[in-house]
Amino acid sequence: MRSPINSAISFGIYSLSEQSVTLEFGHEISEELHHQISSFDRLIHSNTFAGFKTTVPAYSTLSIFYDILEVSQSDMPGEDCFTKVSNYLHQLQSEQLTQPNTPNNSITNITIPTCYGGEYGEDIAEVAQLNNLSIDEVISLHSTAIYKVYMIGFVPGFAYLGGMDQRLATPRKPSPRKAIPAGSVGIAGEQTGIYPLETPGGWQLLGRTPIKLFDANKAQPSLLKAGDQVKFQPIDHNQFNQYHQ
Amino acid sequence: MQIRIVKPGILSTVQDLGRMQYLSQAVPVSGVMDSLSARTANMALGNPDNAAVIEFTYADAEFIAESDLLLAYAGDGAILQAGETVILEERPYFIPAGTSIQLVNNPTGSRTYLAIAGGFDVPEVLGSRSTYITAGLGGFKGRALQMGDVLTASDNLSYTSTKILSSLKGAHINFAHWSIARRMFQPADNKRIRIVPAHEFNWFHGISIVNFLSEGYTLGQRSNRMGYHLEGGPINRIIKNELLSTGVTPGTIQVAGDGTMVMLMADCQTTGGYPRIAQVASVDMPLCGQFKPGDTIYFEDISRQTAEMLYIEREAELLQLREAIRLKYL
Repeated sequence: MRSPINSAISFGIYSLSEQSVTLEFGHEISEELHHQISSFDRLIHSNTFAGFKTTVPAYSTLSIFYDILEVSQSDMPGEDCFTKVSNYLHQLQSEQLTQPNTPNNSITNITIPTCYGGEYGEDIAEVAQLNNLSIDEVISLHSTAIYKVYMIGFVPGFAYLGGMDQRLATPRKPSPRKAIPAGSVGIAGEQTGIYPLETPGGWQLLGRTPIKLFDANKAQPSLLKAGDQVKFQPIDHNQFNQYHQ
Repeated sequence: MQIRIVKPGILSTVQDLGRMQYLSQAVPVSGVMDSLSARTANMALGNPDNAAVIEFTYADAEFIAESDLLLAYAGDGAILQAGETVILEERPYFIPAGTSIQLVNNPTGSRTYLAIAGGFDVPEVLGSRSTYITAGLGGFKGRALQMGDVLTASDNLSYTSTKILSSLKGAHINFAHWSIARRMFQPADNKRIRIVPAHEFNWFHGISIVNFLSEGYTLGQRSNRMGYHLEGGPINRIIKNELLSTGVTPGTIQVAGDGTMVMLMADCQTTGGYPRIAQVASVDMPLCGQFKPGDTIYFEDISRQTAEMLYIEREAELLQLREAIRLKYL
């Protein structure tokens, strides 16, 4: 049910700072909102305004950053920069209603090879026990679901994934670990995620992937981006080690 | 031009004005904490505002000129000295090769910016020379400076830099008889921060808001380049909705679940899920960059329109100043 989505796009705008505004599309996590935000994000990137810098998509919002001096010197209508940018974005929204949808045909599917359990997934037994599952069932539930990347946040390359089977939901560790290695795959409450960098954290660890989630030397440093679809593929220790060769 | 770090101090990093293009991949802005001081140091040399500088935290650092240098510094964390000779801030200095320079304590602030003509030549990573230590990217090898590190400036000097250099060059330390009065751009009370109410401002109790705008808040010990913990009376909520993670930016003041506030700074996350009480006016972010744990600060609310106008006025003044320096060395 994606075709009539254009006509449904509506948002409120508020000032985030002198150099950014946030568009608010709703107040919940849903595929529908995610789709609206992604299409408006693409629309802005193909119709930028003087001073436009970048955007930050989130669950229900899209923040837009700009150079205030360029906006103030532009001939966009409005008495101040916030009004100029707001007017422009509302204009873009209303013009878009009359244009044919530009569907995003390029949904990227990414498979994350993951070595579950053992030294890489120290908490898998605890997750199984708390949810009355066997370890194999935990691996199976976690690796058969298809996840959607709603947003990137927290640390560079960290993807907020939607779509975890709620039978796996597990509270965070009572006290966080001082260092969780890069590539760790874990569960916190009702979400699952992958640590791109070594950071402290309270997630329940299920396993680890040998692939890099963030590489500053690449043109697109984050492996995942908002809108991607993700699947975990169980691998064993030997396969894990082969990635490092 | 080249320097060698003899003593790095508590935290010294290479920074420019920050990295904006990868926020959607959760790469923070980073960059200098006090952009007015960093820009002042660059401007005094005829460098572009965005040229890479060293951000020193407090004093107790030392470097040596491995070649003749044209340098300038600004900020409130330290005073530079070459032995017994005090180096004056906010003006261009010629320093002959072999001179050793120490940073001695200036208790009024925390960060000091060293610029050299041409700007420190470190590779651009994701569009910026700023260091982001958590991901080990940018700046000098993605990390804080260490003893023995050798930093070189770009040979590509601006016309103004070349003229300033030739006017001061000689066998001894020499300096220009003019300076930039950075403090003239800022309010006299450097602990009173102007803020604009943020989107969730009305989620908080009226009494908490009155307290927020009248009581002092003290920077906690855990404060760093990511954010400042503000200690004081708790900020209570009347609307207890869950906020979905959404875009935040340096200067955003969030209220955590226990009622304590965090002011986000240069290395902050790009998204956050705590309700926001206020956004620091951009013109006052440089003042915030000089705070240190234990400082007590106050907030004063202004309108979004006023904040925008103050920013545009400040930039116009800085542009005028830059132009005046350029004309002086035509």
